[in-house]
Amino acid sequence: MSTVLHFPRRGLRTLTAIQAKLLLREPAALVWLGLPIVLVVVFGNIPAFLTPAADLGGKRVIDVYVPTLAAMVPLFLACTALPMTMASWREKDVLRRLSVSPVPAAGMLAALVAVMAALATAGVAVIVAIGALAFDVSTPGNPGAVLASFVLGAAAVLALGLLIAARARTGPAASAMGVPLMILNFFASGLYFPVAQMPHLLQRVCEFIPFGAVTAAWSGQGQLWQHLLVLAGYTAVAGPLAARTFRWE
Amino acid sequence: MAVIEVEHLHKRYGHVTAVRDVSFQVEQGEIFGILGPNGAGKTTTVECLSGLRQADGGRVSVLGLDPVRQRDELRQVLGVQLQSSGLPDKLRVREALELYASFHRQPADPVELMHRLGLAEKAGARYKKLSGGQQQRLAIALAMIGRPRAVVLDELTTGLDPHARRTTWGLVEQVRDTGVTVLLVTHFMEEAERLCDRVALIDRGEVVAVDTPAGLAARAGQRQRMRFRPSAPLDEELLRALPEVAEVAWHGPVVEISGTGNLVHAVTAQLARAQIIAADLRVEQASLDDAFIALTGHPDTD
Repeated sequence: MSTVLHFPRRGLRTLTAIQAKLLLREPAALVWLGLPIVLVVVFGNIPAFLTPAADLGGKRVIDVYVPTLAAMVPLFLACTALPMTMASWREKDVLRRLSVSPVPAAGMLAALVAVMAALATAGVAVIVAIGALAFDVSTPGNPGAVLASFVLGAAAVLALGLLIAARARTGPAASAMGVPLMILNFFASGLYFPVAQMPHLLQRVCEFIPFGAVTAAWSGQGQLWQHLLVLAGYTAVAGPLAARTFRWE
Repeated sequence: MAVIEVEHLHKRYGHVTAVRDVSFQVEQGEIFGILGPNGAGKTTTVECLSGLRQADGGRVSVLGLDPVRQRDELRQVLGVQLQSSGLPDKLRVREALELYASFHRQPADPVELMHRLGLAEKAGARYKKLSGGQQQRLAIALAMIGRPRAVVLDELTTGLDPHARRTTWGLVEQVRDTGVTVLLVTHFMEEAERLCDRVALIDRGEVVAVDTPAGLAARAGQRQRMRFRPSAPLDEELLRALPEVAEVAWHGPVVEISGTGNLVHAVTAQLARAQIIAADLRVEQASLDDAFIALTGHPDTD
């Protein structure tokens, strides 16, 4: 591939490192990474959340909320940080300057996704570790399935965020698309209202929203293969579409 | 071999024709100017030869490459500074140069480049905190980081104060002196006159003329005018006898002579023979401004 020939690999590494640095220089990064961690600690110190509840099938509120709070990290990053970073670069003609350098569009997107994925992994790991070590949240029955659904779920929302990032002309336009997407996913993952307490039909609908599917896979609801297929579908459609429709200016 | 060849370039956006018919050649090692008012098609021309836009007609070759089909190869040998382009607010000067250096196979040394362009003490400064002149110096540095054989500099000094503009001009000459061919896009006549070896005058999507700045001014057929106070009584007929002289007029002790061709040389030689010294000598020559009006039929509206 000519891109490989003309674009040194160290370029992609430097681009990824710089994007990570710039992201962490934004005060909003504290919200994306810090808020879910603060919430898990706060929830873990509410006594009522640590006692088994009958309407949650004998689970404690904290057991239900750890996966939900873990889901906040990739959602914040994919639905707000990623599209808004790219849109503001587009708005300020940063992308226009990059478009006359040897960086290919796919490389731009890849570097940004790599940063987001790494931060999401770190954030999720911290939350799960706090849950398990401090509040005794049990490891799920099928760790392989949970890991697979979380990775695919993060990939799905990153791909959707990437699609917004590829198209949105301005920061406000990006957040106008990204924030509703994030809220929809929060809802489906049970952040506002535990999924188990929703009407049955709504629970079924939520399984077709990326983090609804992840939450369902985590809690062992429905068919695992179906959830994984939904998530892989989002990634397979949105990812290539983003690379193809990428707008430099 | 010409470094940049543009033949009958044509580019439309929907129903709007941005570039109708543009042809020119840029030779190795020169500073070639594209001069014209805003909206003349300068930026579109530059975007076509940088591979950002596909031409609707005509042929473009840059360093022997097709800018669209051989875009990746071109990026390694052509440095481009676009008119509107930015960097992230919080990116530091050193980081920007190291980032762009990493994209190239044989980049220049960022530290050396910062010294050369007077950015060394701003190495740790964020992009947003730089002055307009510093941002443009960084833009030149980024265009130069890949050790390009040619650079395109689009409206480099627009928005800069006169002092920063002059500093930037010096840097462009420095770039040329390292053997890099420069294509300079500008709507400042003064800039083209000062920097360019040759200029293509573009108006409404077409090339009006390609010549040296002096050649363009001469082509405009503008008269030159000189005024001075002769140190001794001067016989007007001595001057009128010269073929270059068209008119002689007196304003008190000051004589004003207008004419064409090598007027100044002819008159001063004649004065020397008559042993007269021209005190307070002032010479006004036709400028590119005059040439622009003469060649396009309308003033540069900018």
